[in-house]
Amino acid sequence: MMIEGVLYLLVALLVAIIEYFVAGPIGDFGLSNWWIAAIIFAAFEGYCWPSGQTAVMRLMGSSVQLGDGSFAGPLRMAVRQLIRFLIVYAAPLWAFDFNVWRIVVIAVAVAVMIEALDRAGVGAKAPWDLFVGSAVVEGGIAGVSPDLGPIRSIADLRLAPGRAAQNERARKAMFAAGLSSVVVSVLIVLNIFTEAWVFVSDQEFSWGLLTDVGWFPRRGQFDLSTLFVGTLWVTVIAMVVAGPVGIGVAFYLSEYAGDRTQRIVKPLIETLASIPSVVLGLFAISFIFPKILQPIFADIGIFSLLAAGLGVGVLTVPIVASISEDAMRAVPGELREASYGLGARKATTALRVVFPAAISGISAALIVGVSRAIGETMVVFIAAGGSGGALFESDPTEPGQTLTAAMASVGAGTDSVAGSGIAFQSLYFLGALLFLATLLLNVVSDFIVRRFRQVY
Amino acid sequence: MRGDVFDPSSLQKQPGADRSGQAFFGLISLAVLAAFVMVGAVFWDVVQGSWDISTSRMWGFVSTSFVSNPDEAGVAQGIRGSLIIAGIVILSFPIGIGAAVYLEEYATDSWTTRLIQVTVRNLAGVPSIVYGLLGLAVFVQTLKGLTGGDSVISGALTLAILVLPIVIITSAEAIRAVPGSYRDGAYGLGATQWETIRTQVLPAAMPGILTGTVLSIARALGEAAPLLVVGAAGYYTTGNNDFLEQMRGAFTALPMNIATFTKEPAAIWRGHAAAASLVLLVLVFLINLVAIIGRARIAKRLGR
Repeated sequence: MMIEGVLYLLVALLVAIIEYFVAGPIGDFGLSNWWIAAIIFAAFEGYCWPSGQTAVMRLMGSSVQLGDGSFAGPLRMAVRQLIRFLIVYAAPLWAFDFNVWRIVVIAVAVAVMIEALDRAGVGAKAPWDLFVGSAVVEGGIAGVSPDLGPIRSIADLRLAPGRAAQNERARKAMFAAGLSSVVVSVLIVLNIFTEAWVFVSDQEFSWGLLTDVGWFPRRGQFDLSTLFVGTLWVTVIAMVVAGPVGIGVAFYLSEYAGDRTQRIVKPLIETLASIPSVVLGLFAISFIFPKILQPIFADIGIFSLLAAGLGVGVLTVPIVASISEDAMRAVPGELREASYGLGARKATTALRVVFPAAISGISAALIVGVSRAIGETMVVFIAAGGSGGALFESDPTEPGQTLTAAMASVGAGTDSVAGSGIAFQSLYFLGALLFLATLLLNVVSDFIVRRFRQVY
Repeated sequence: MRGDVFDPSSLQKQPGADRSGQAFFGLISLAVLAAFVMVGAVFWDVVQGSWDISTSRMWGFVSTSFVSNPDEAGVAQGIRGSLIIAGIVILSFPIGIGAAVYLEEYATDSWTTRLIQVTVRNLAGVPSIVYGLLGLAVFVQTLKGLTGGDSVISGALTLAILVLPIVIITSAEAIRAVPGSYRDGAYGLGATQWETIRTQVLPAAMPGILTGTVLSIARALGEAAPLLVVGAAGYYTTGNNDFLEQMRGAFTALPMNIATFTKEPAAIWRGHAAAASLVLLVLVFLINLVAIIGRARIAKRLGR
């Protein structure tokens, strides 16, 4: 102990001298020199001090048991080293930007710590561990567990207080992580609805504006029916694509496909699910419009609700497919076997036995698909046109605006809109509507699954 | 009928007897074919659209910043933004996995548990643009001093929140799949619950957790709507200053580039959109590849 203390003071002195020469005369000590000194200090100390050594050993795979009985992992050791570093060096260095004082403070701090350690009788421990809360017990060799002492009584078998405390800490930490979802939900609801209230209660706002001609937020025209019609069209078109294709793929995967074909079709659906929606926006403009729509509708423009709806449909296929497939797979094999036993054909089994048994899951899949189609933004923002606003339009081959695309348009011009009246707040108003709509759909699909699920 | 000999061949399927069943199978095959065509068409469209750029100056495209000349414009800033976002989104993993551990290992059937479950399920269904509103209010406006307003930090933190429910749900599934005997074995050796989770449950669930987290990065890379609301630029021509300024200043990301290129009135920029899409798809593919390799390695190490 004595030797280590002397060594420590010598190191401090050495570093102070280095500091002096690196930093030059008193009062001329820049940040970079500060760092050089600190790094030399830390490196030296890490080399000769037990705690530093155990940290290195720990990083190489040894186990370190702390004073409270728990075991420190590399991350915890790193954090401890950091705290220690801050307390011992950074704090005094930062507090006194003056060389002589700094040296004195370091020396005194070190002396006090060593003295305190001696008094505490902790033994050959690193001084800073008093400040971190627990002392480092000598680190073992990799794989060797610490000696817990001979077992003499039942009390020796009892969980060490350190492990119990660690267990409790872990439980609390996990619970806190679990609460994150609640916190996010509350933040979303609070933010959106207070801002939506700001919009509704603004002097410029009147409920008549919600049935004005067209959606032009910057001109103070907020006709919701324009957006509702657009959203409705996009959703209907998307589901016309995604419903049959998704359910058909689900039938194929769960009833017909063998192992090998499954290994081809499943990744395909996953690929479709991983395509970013902006790419499908581009797809709607550069493929769906010229290759599919133009040959059919002679006078269709590049931006249309129809193209956007088809693009969203492609995006919705994998959701419908995977949820319906799960529902069909959940139907027990006995039902199919009973059906075959009665002489039913494969198609009959799929349609008359599996399909009714999985109907709750399949309808939930369709509802989730609708919810996703309503919430899809980028495809519509890109392919449906109507950036600044849109007139009421019930023809899907014309450009239009949906709830989400209207939000994106307002949001895209955040800077220019921020100061201009209630246009910006309309973003939150629409967000609130969208949130409520999707929430309702999710709750309904949840309810259907719970209420109508057949339990086997 | 007495005396008729039973003819087993009468039980054989008659040709053409199952015509409606074949029709049903035909319909289903058509649906699978449609899905194939969709995937094929999207990739064909991207490759074909980006052909000019990818065959002539792909390296220049990914390594230069945006300029107004279409022959020189690149998406280096978008790639950088997307990579920073991928890095910051990782912050949500410990929280998401922790929440999953709580739900699967600790939670008893109480109202707090049910509240957490319900909120996680609902958050997973909230449209991404709504997260953008949250990010706008919390990170851009309230925490402006920390994030610098509409910066890459704000955008990335918003996306980190967006992927949180995905991480929770996939991790919870992976943890649920760990057999109970693993836990019993650890408890039998005197491990505490936390030691059981740390040394048995989490390593066994790691392949599944890894898949979920990587998928969530891929999802964050492809999201544009929240970034749009948070205030990402379509592209910007200044920048390339010091690191702190990059983190807190104007930013863009690949999906933002794609959206803005696509919305340009001049058709030439659509080639840029396709090329940027190609870069994004390759990036997502690479990340998925890392997940597949990582999963295989972990599974091998666990001896399964």
